[in-house]
Amino acid sequence: MSEFFSILEYTFFQNALLAAVLTSILAAMVGTYIVSRKIVFITGGITHASFGGIGMAYFFGLNPILGAAVFAVISATGIEWISWRGKVREDSAIAIFWSLGMALGIIFVFMTPGYTPNLMSFLFGSILSVGKAELYLLLGFCIILGLFFLIYFRPVVYTAFDPEFAQIMGVPVAFFRFAMAVIIALSIVISIRSVGIILVLSLFTVPQITAMLFTRDFAKIIPLAGFFGILGSLAGLFSSYYYDIPSGAAIIFFLTLQYLLLRGFVLTRDSLKRTTN
Amino acid sequence: MKKPLVSLRDASTGYFSDIVLKNVDFDVYPNDFIGVIGPNGGGKTTLIKAILGVLPLFKGKISFPAGKPEMGYLPQISQVDKTFPITVRDLVASGLKAKSNWFPQLNKSQKQQVSAMLEEAGLSRLASKPIGELSGGQFQKSFLCRALINQPSLLILDEPNTFVDKAFEQELYRWLKTLNEKMAIILVSHDIGTISPLVKSIACVNINLHYHPSNQLTEEILKVYNCPVDIIAHGPVPHRVLKEHDI
Repeated sequence: MSEFFSILEYTFFQNALLAAVLTSILAAMVGTYIVSRKIVFITGGITHASFGGIGMAYFFGLNPILGAAVFAVISATGIEWISWRGKVREDSAIAIFWSLGMALGIIFVFMTPGYTPNLMSFLFGSILSVGKAELYLLLGFCIILGLFFLIYFRPVVYTAFDPEFAQIMGVPVAFFRFAMAVIIALSIVISIRSVGIILVLSLFTVPQITAMLFTRDFAKIIPLAGFFGILGSLAGLFSSYYYDIPSGAAIIFFLTLQYLLLRGFVLTRDSLKRTTN
Repeated sequence: MKKPLVSLRDASTGYFSDIVLKNVDFDVYPNDFIGVIGPNGGGKTTLIKAILGVLPLFKGKISFPAGKPEMGYLPQISQVDKTFPITVRDLVASGLKAKSNWFPQLNKSQKQQVSAMLEEAGLSRLASKPIGELSGGQFQKSFLCRALINQPSLLILDEPNTFVDKAFEQELYRWLKTLNEKMAIILVSHDIGTISPLVKSIACVNINLHYHPSNQLTEEILKVYNCPVDIIAHGPVPHRVLKEHDI
């Protein structure tokens, strides 16, 4: 057992653990909003659109995370704006951002001369190479977002649930919609380092649907999703180290396994309850 | 004569460039109980959205001669996402305005107000339940509580009698009669048969609006008002049955 925990002495592994915990907390807050508002597909669109920014940043020699953030925010607010106006079908708008972003990313990466370092880490994540600066960024974002959710919980939830009624009640609905679009975009980009573009979506949805097996109260889904997110991420992280498999894929595998096991448990429990009644 | 709570003058509105309501004059006075009827797509919901201020007018004027009234609103049940993770208590609380926009938390007395409302409506037992687990009647009741918690002087209900059982429908109508002593009510329904004995006056909406200052409607009047209405009659409320007619 002591051998098992000996890796905890390494700074890189400590960083990875912290990154997994912080990303799970971040994803718990934002993901609950995403799942409740049924905008998982939008989130997928934003995620893949951000690849365009990564490619462009490589080409111009800029910071890829910055490029991804710009693309993600533009596509998130763009999709929100289009669905706000209601003239274009929202799913078609998402598909445009989704594929255009990926296409731009591929074109720019292809045009970038020489070797593109870390490209694979953006696609598949590489939590074991997260540095101090990125940790501070994650921590800072978590704190700001936590405060935002604490203070503005009511308008955020009410705008998501029934925007028209919220508007009648004097809630600045447009502000909160766009603020949440920007928050989703930035949260995704910050989380890309842990699990990568292709897998990041599940970090924002699987812990939430796991939590929703036990509660249908927005305020309770967040901490429960955080708990399941941390549990699955840590399991994935340890096994990725010991079995030498990609960390992002391992995390998603354990998150999903956890969901399936708990779903099985809930189904069995409920059917037992029915037979005893 | 009392001042009207809401007054629409020559108002036209709709969605994007589609005009749904045209040149509407409409006044709502305190203690009015107006049944809004009309064919599907005729502009019933559009009318109340204009009154609620969520749809801007293309033309004309809306005014509140007695000052902007508190309005309570019950939307059509079909427009609500029943799977959204929100509890009955939080739903009802969403009908209250926080004292501050910067820190929009409810204070202690507002939280007590929510509990009292739930108690009064007999929903206390369900307070922590998510709305997805409610029956049709409980669902409507919770949404009615949300509309009432801010003690409105104008209550606006959009098809409150859909998806509910007959027992609850009767309870709802009794409730509305009592509420009408304290507030004006606008009740939108496609079902004129059931609402006609309940309301004091009727507004027939079909692009234009025709106001009829009594609840007695004859087929002739409907014809004159160019207001084809689906007539669904079911007891045990006293009701009239009118034949469907062409535009």
